[in-house]
Amino acid sequence: MSGDDLIEDILGIAPGSPLAELRRRRPEALRHAQGAYRELLMPEDPGNVSHVDRAALALRAALREGDEALAARFRALLEAASAQEAIMLAEDLSDAPMEGRLAALLRYADVVAARPEDVTQDTIDALTAMGLTPRDIVAVTQLVSFVPYQVRVIAGLRAMQEEAAS
Amino acid sequence: MSRFTMEEVGWTPRIPPVEAETATPAQLAALEACPPAQRRSTYFLTLAQDPASLGERGALFNTVMYAPRGLPRADREFSTAIVSMTNGCVYCTSVHARRFADLSKQPEAMQRVLDEGHAVESDPRRRAIADFSEKLTRTPDAVTAADLAPLRAVGMDDLQVLDLIHSIAMFANANRLMQSLGESTPPAA
Repeated sequence: MSGDDLIEDILGIAPGSPLAELRRRRPEALRHAQGAYRELLMPEDPGNVSHVDRAALALRAALREGDEALAARFRALLEAASAQEAIMLAEDLSDAPMEGRLAALLRYADVVAARPEDVTQDTIDALTAMGLTPRDIVAVTQLVSFVPYQVRVIAGLRAMQEEAAS
Repeated sequence: MSRFTMEEVGWTPRIPPVEAETATPAQLAALEACPPAQRRSTYFLTLAQDPASLGERGALFNTVMYAPRGLPRADREFSTAIVSMTNGCVYCTSVHARRFADLSKQPEAMQRVLDEGHAVESDPRRRAIADFSEKLTRTPDAVTAADLAPLRAVGMDDLQVLDLIHSIAMFANANRLMQSLGESTPPAA
């Protein structure tokens, strides 16, 4: 693994390679993308959204975005926590009705990831009614919205890799 | 008639923003990491409800949009306006279209894209930026080296391409936050 950079690890960008050096010309983008990842997935004080919930939401967003490699990283976090049920729920992309709190959070993730224009006041009020505070709601929304950032950085860098190899 | 505009669009949050007077030290510190012109906006005060994510994400946004050298700022603003149109975020489109118009001194070019879409864009550099921005936004998994060729053809070097990728990715994030946590309120007709 090249340092602790998730994206370089996924793409197999070797330390010292031209693409790794290029990315280091924007050191703050690297540092704060990793920082956001840490604060969103495994914050010291997770409020009412546990680390398992967070990894499940990220897994769901990555699957909705069609990025299997990124999804595998979030799945690994859940496997490390022995959270098999969370994996099952997050990976069930069928429209089958799902009961419970995590299922409701996953449905929120679906809307934010794929159809954010469809979020309404009722959507947010339903989260509040589940006991989520404004802080929890912002954290969940930030998390689900951060995965699409990662997906597009990975896709763009992959194209640059391909370009360099040709 | 397009729903996109360069005029001031309002934004109404769906959860209460932090009040400047009662903000915690952690919330104030997180706001300090955000672009100075925006740190007292309703949007950033709403994000400040979760200071840990705002601090890192605000700093990321800051460097993506304002880091020196590389892709000119006008190009970053143009790209993020196109991404915001693609995602249907009326508020973000208005802000970044306005910034592009100010930086480029070409408000009429921006207005045309807002009204008719970027297929009408005839400037080769802006057209290349717009096409790439839309594709990476809509279908990231379909983007290949061939999609970079038009950017190279208008003279973009590696750092500029990286900056463009970062700008586009940042607005996959920003548009979703803005659309989920609140509602764009169009200017009064």
